[in-house]
Amino acid sequence: MSTAPILAAEGIGKRFGGFRALSDVSVAFEPGSLTSIIGPNGAGKSTFFNVLSGAFPPSEGRVRYEGRDITGLPQHRFAHLGIAKSFQITNLFPQLSALENVRIAGQAMRSRFDMWTKRETIAELLDRAEALLELVGLAARRHEIAENLAHGEQRSLEIAVALACDPRLLLLDEPTAGMSPEEARAMMDLILKLNEERTVVLVEHRMKLVMGISSRIIVLHHGQLLAEGSPDAIRSHDEVRRVYLGQTV
Amino acid sequence: MVERSATAGPPARTRPGGPAAIGAAYDFVDRHRVAIAILFLIVLPWLTPYKALAVNILIYGLFAMGFNLIYGYAGMLSFGHAALFGLGAYGCGIPIAKFGIPWFLALPTGVAVAGLAAVAIGWFATRSRGIYFAMVTLALSQVVYYIVFQMVWLTGGEDGLRGVSVPALDIFGLELSLLDPTAKYYLILIAVALALWLFSRILQSPFGAVLEAIRENEKRAAACGYDVNRTRWAAFILSGLFSGLAGALYAIHLSIVPIETLHYFTSAEVLMMTLLGGMGTFFGPFVGALVYILLQDVVTVVTVHWQLVVGILFVVLILFFPRGIWGSLLHWLRP
Amino acid sequence: MTVDLFLLQLFTGLALGSIFVLVALGLSLIFGLLTIVNFAHGQFFMLGAYVGAFVLGMTGNFWLSLIAVPLAVGAVGMLCERFLVRPLYGRGIDYPLLLTYGLGLILLETVRILAGTQGIPFNTPPVLSGAADLGFFFFPKYRLFLIAITAIILVALWLFLERTSYGLIIRAGARDQEIVQVLGVDVGRVWLVVFGVGVAIAGLAGVLAAPIRGVFPEMGVPVLVEAFVVTVVGGMGSLLGAVVAGLAVGVTVSFTSFFYPEMATLSMFLLMALVLVFRPRGLFGRAGLLG
Repeated sequence: MSTAPILAAEGIGKRFGGFRALSDVSVAFEPGSLTSIIGPNGAGKSTFFNVLSGAFPPSEGRVRYEGRDITGLPQHRFAHLGIAKSFQITNLFPQLSALENVRIAGQAMRSRFDMWTKRETIAELLDRAEALLELVGLAARRHEIAENLAHGEQRSLEIAVALACDPRLLLLDEPTAGMSPEEARAMMDLILKLNEERTVVLVEHRMKLVMGISSRIIVLHHGQLLAEGSPDAIRSHDEVRRVYLGQTV
Repeated sequence: MVERSATAGPPARTRPGGPAAIGAAYDFVDRHRVAIAILFLIVLPWLTPYKALAVNILIYGLFAMGFNLIYGYAGMLSFGHAALFGLGAYGCGIPIAKFGIPWFLALPTGVAVAGLAAVAIGWFATRSRGIYFAMVTLALSQVVYYIVFQMVWLTGGEDGLRGVSVPALDIFGLELSLLDPTAKYYLILIAVALALWLFSRILQSPFGAVLEAIRENEKRAAACGYDVNRTRWAAFILSGLFSGLAGALYAIHLSIVPIETLHYFTSAEVLMMTLLGGMGTFFGPFVGALVYILLQDVVTVVTVHWQLVVGILFVVLILFFPRGIWGSLLHWLRP
Repeated sequence: MTVDLFLLQLFTGLALGSIFVLVALGLSLIFGLLTIVNFAHGQFFMLGAYVGAFVLGMTGNFWLSLIAVPLAVGAVGMLCERFLVRPLYGRGIDYPLLLTYGLGLILLETVRILAGTQGIPFNTPPVLSGAADLGFFFFPKYRLFLIAITAIILVALWLFLERTSYGLIIRAGARDQEIVQVLGVDVGRVWLVVFGVGVAIAGLAGVLAAPIRGVFPEMGVPVLVEAFVVTVVGGMGSLLGAVVAGLAVGVTVSFTSFFYPEMATLSMFLLMALVLVFRPRGLFGRAGLLG
């Protein structure tokens, strides 16, 4: 018997008009695990991620978080439940400084309608934002406008913004998209570090990157669950090898 | 724009490039923006051709400032602010003209009526996005227009509300005649100064930061845990209160309330002032109101076709100077 | 309410709605492809009525004015698109809206300068004046004509969109701009034509409404609001929505003005409020179109 899952997808299906992007995907995520969702292009990874993170509701099935049904919950409730996500396409506040990006994200946990306090007097928010920038290696760039940061830096800032609500569950959609191999490896090290304190689910299409760090791998193919298991089990899985034929596994 | 980023977090001491003097001037103006605005408004009546014009600039500047909260800072283009301004005016004017209620009770009544209207209009409108929002606010403000138009017994209908007479204010035994334009200007300035200070405070608050965040990236703001619709609604109501105050002061200033106050042309006028001055800047709305009203004063002497000038101004601004006067100035001087 | 009275109100509503349909159709067509809300739409409506009155005054031929108006107004619209609206594509959704508002003021004031601030007469053509016996009741011929010609315009527009290669491009473009670009179509020209057609329909609606509403400079001001109401009810960018909602709004106004005339104008806003509460994207609007 394992512990109760932190997040569970039950029979998830998603249709877009006549197109069926997902059918009957059921997966459970253990607390403290680092799970990677992989699959070839068009496998339904992003759709699945969006259903898990509440960007849109599934056509069928339920999503449970710590036993609670969160299907169709408004997006803004997720952060308050302890679920944070990063987006596949960089999604920051472009005209605000790196520091303000993280500060405003953290502020959502305490002051949403405070119209009176001066914002810079809330020291704990600033301190926390500084600490997170330090963690992702952007401390020196704190006053730079987000738009002016290099692509890799923006991806790191994206992680810091997601961490600002101190989530128990971190959902990352292709965190290494567009990164150089060195940057991607550094990102994987960071993710591994984040996993020490929280559950991580990430979508990645570069299989090789996640094999070393994941505790579990989920393989989607044609919108269906093809395989799940430890990286070793997936590596030797016949179906997976066939799907990824031609790619070095 | 610079004002905005400077309020976010601790001010950056070192700004890359540019002479340090300009940077220092920037920080100075930004830190003392309320005091500077009030000082300027204190000398304004001595700079305009006649005092009544200065009062108009004051009131429309306040209205544009309220409008700027949602358009410039939260990125919501409302075409229905005439309803909030006009209801502030009727809400203050009707108690005075029809029920003989003293001005110090009528003024807050006007603000409250506008606030309630903002609650209702905002509830509908914030369910929609982008240009839909502009269309819905315009349509809903026309509803207010038609209702007021038809309630002749209360509002005077097409002729407007007449007899909003406040000849003198009795403040702690001190009699101040409102027939004296200078006295009137400075009394209204007291209300506007308070509003300016409150407005600046809101911009600096955590809520002000949320508005910027939503304007910058609605999706990300929601993922961070902000209820975007409720925040937009709250901003709309706040904006309505400021616009309502402007309207209430307008009723006292004119001693009548023309029905045109409620027409969507008024919404376009305040939008024009905000654009002209520079949206999303602290001083922009007042600069815009000043230039617009002075220009109107000059042009209407020469021709009756003032609307043609406004139309051309819209087109030229949008095509060539979308930052507006103050906004462009900030942009060019940007260190 | 007797059956013939009911039918009379229904037909009155449909005639009223025909104008709404035409105005909203142009607005929706432009929005669907160019994603801009044309705030000058009401003024193009007004321009149509004036051009119509001018041609009618010169030639005395109503039918000729029906042909001249869409051509003239469409040409003005295309000039505006080419030189004013086009520089704004890709510069945010607010800019074209504000620009067209300014453009509308310029059109309004220009007409005031050229034709005076007073209205000018526009008589119903003799063939279409008087009433026709519809069995149950007598109905003004001109309003029957309105319903009929709106139907004809709708069929023509439908054929244009469904059966011509241009229509194919427009339909594809409304769904996905990139596809059209990939196909190597000159998108700029398609936009030009669509803007022209959209405002031409508004102009036509203006001249068609002239015998009923009169011709005066401010006639386009309420029309813009009506078009917005219809578009919000029907759903942005949906042509079917514009037709259904236009007729629905017309019939609503017609029946309200029978029972409770003071509420006639307000009734269309109440309809809009209902739609906003229960279906914020409009009856036929696409989800996510407006983010």
